[in-house]
Amino acid sequence: MDNLARAYLPRIAGLALASVSFLAVTAAEAKEITIWCWDPNFNVAIMKEAGARYTKTHPDVTFNVVDFAKADVEQKLQTGLASGTADALPDIVLIEDYGAQKYLQSFPGAFAPLSGTVDYSGFAPYKVEVMTLDGQVYGMPFDSGVAGLYYRKDYLEQSGFKPEDMQNLTWDRFIEIGQQVEAKTGKKMIGLDPNDGGLVRVIMQSAGQWYFDKEGKPNITGNAALKATLETVGKIMSANIYKPANGWSDWVGTFTSGDVATVVAGVWITGTVKAQPDQAGKWGVVPIPALSIEGATHASNLGGSSWYVLESSAEKAEAIDFLNEIYGKDIDFYQKILQDRGAVGSLLAARRGAAYEAADSFFGGEKVWQNFSDWLAKVPSVNYGVFTNEADLAVTAQLPALTQGTPTDEILKAIDAEISGQIQ
Amino acid sequence: MILARRGGIGRYYDINGWLFVAPALGLIALFMVYPILWSLWMSFQSGRGMMMKFAGFANIVRLWNDPVFLKALTNTMTYFVVQVPIMILLALILASLLNNPRLVGRGFFRTAIFLPCVTSLVAYSVLFKGMFAPDGIVNSTLQAIGIVSSPIPWLTHPFWAKTLVIIAITWRWTGYNMIFYLAALQNIDKSIYEVARIDGVPAWARFTHITIPLLKPVILFTTVISTIGTLQLFDEVYNLTEGKGGPSNATLTLSLYIYNLTFRFMPNFGYAATVSYVIVVLVALLAVLQFYLARERDR
Repeated sequence: MDNLARAYLPRIAGLALASVSFLAVTAAEAKEITIWCWDPNFNVAIMKEAGARYTKTHPDVTFNVVDFAKADVEQKLQTGLASGTADALPDIVLIEDYGAQKYLQSFPGAFAPLSGTVDYSGFAPYKVEVMTLDGQVYGMPFDSGVAGLYYRKDYLEQSGFKPEDMQNLTWDRFIEIGQQVEAKTGKKMIGLDPNDGGLVRVIMQSAGQWYFDKEGKPNITGNAALKATLETVGKIMSANIYKPANGWSDWVGTFTSGDVATVVAGVWITGTVKAQPDQAGKWGVVPIPALSIEGATHASNLGGSSWYVLESSAEKAEAIDFLNEIYGKDIDFYQKILQDRGAVGSLLAARRGAAYEAADSFFGGEKVWQNFSDWLAKVPSVNYGVFTNEADLAVTAQLPALTQGTPTDEILKAIDAEISGQIQ
Repeated sequence: MILARRGGIGRYYDINGWLFVAPALGLIALFMVYPILWSLWMSFQSGRGMMMKFAGFANIVRLWNDPVFLKALTNTMTYFVVQVPIMILLALILASLLNNPRLVGRGFFRTAIFLPCVTSLVAYSVLFKGMFAPDGIVNSTLQAIGIVSSPIPWLTHPFWAKTLVIIAITWRWTGYNMIFYLAALQNIDKSIYEVARIDGVPAWARFTHITIPLLKPVILFTTVISTIGTLQLFDEVYNLTEGKGGPSNATLTLSLYIYNLTFRFMPNFGYAATVSYVIVVLVALLAVLQFYLARERDR
């Protein structure tokens, strides 16, 4: 027995050594790219689709798409970057456009510049602008938040309006229609969460302004677009044509339950609107109303996000190549995610596919995707700056004052004071 | 010789003793002393994210000019001044009632009142949000019995949102304080009450002149604990207002503001550390004040 063991020992050792080195070789070859993002029906599903496409041509690369809530992604990312321990961070992370500059500026060197690799001229300029810092472009532009006005054709018809009446609206006309809709149908015109600055951002950007100017300085008291926006929101609130909502799901409930006649949001809300099959054929989409001031347009943006590669990632080269192959070039991929998930990407070349020209029966056969991509090209480019969250809270803090007869200039001063105290 | 050394000053030089406590001391130093000192150092720095630089007292100056901080401080102190006395008094009354040995179903009531403070924070916040929604059970009940004519905007009006937070934390923490009082009440010698009863002291006077003075150390303890808890109030507000402290910053607390400064806003870890030290200083000051008010006067 003893002799037997002695005879086999070298072979066993050799076998063990061989399997260890075999494992080491496979570990070196197989690359796993970890990705953090939110929304299982949208970003997560789309990223899995993108990963599956890339793995077909690069079988050595696998993907681990991790699904968190958006606030958790942001908190984990910020904590990981601050702690300086790169091990805890993913290879690719999804960042909402409003927060992009905040991360780029406060954690220099944390994200990999993609300027040399990706051809940014093919993307919507405003998406590229939010990810540019000191001449370097970081990140891969992803979904657009191009905004539209979704409306219930049946409620509008009952109130005496035709689809033509919804084209080229002004906000004042929108409020008039809203009053009529309430008088005729008892339905509110729009759902509004007084703790959410989304509507203010949509309207303000449509007139080419933001909370900050091109240099990133606060642009509040002299901001004609913000002033007109606050007056508009004040009128909507005073006319009482809105259904108040507390929080996101409550706001979604205002239109999925059929309680309101319109929704103003980014194109990504399409999937949620279409989630009510019994409302098929009752909805239409038109450009958002315009303000009655200089520079006002019918095109705007709400939300939208992009993919960023961490500089510390061990799989950096593969991650960049993957994003460039799929999100930077694959037109067919964009057709698929549009049809499956309602994702309007910001690669301009992808706008000429068949899916974009398809009519959507949910919207009564309208070519909604074509419309959205036309509006996308018209979205005014603004500098989101680095303090959008701070500004948003300052604005929503003043919304109740709008209905109490406080002059708009006073409100602007109060917002300015709060923002100035926050940005240092 | 060795035995003699143990009792005196000599035991401080006993290497074996130090070896026994060394692991604990090391961990305390690493995970408590170091972070505390480091955060103190951080509170004198300012900047965006990792771009921190020494700023002297700039953060402290900034506190005075920061309307959001002042709002959060006012809100926190409002919760403290309004909620803590209500809760302490309520807990005292409940404890006295439930201490009555002739009460049927004492165990059930004690459990029922204590239960809220072992429920999940998130679950109860979600429940409160549903109950206090415009068409929730609270508003429909109030309307049905004719107390209000239109629904109370519990979550969208600044005053009512604050009220709701106070209701929520009172509901959750009253039972916790009550348990301390119940335990203390059971240690009071029953003969004191017997004597008082024989002397014809009415029930209310027994409560104010016997129960409360004898419970003073426990009342002091619960007040200090509640003060610390209220000044650190975070979860309820975060969950009830979707993390925003709205409407109009009416429910924003210092802790939620620290969270915003660290995770929601442009990260300014230095300023966030300064605001945390405001809580530390406030807790210390209020605790000293409470000890001073409750001190044993020389007779």
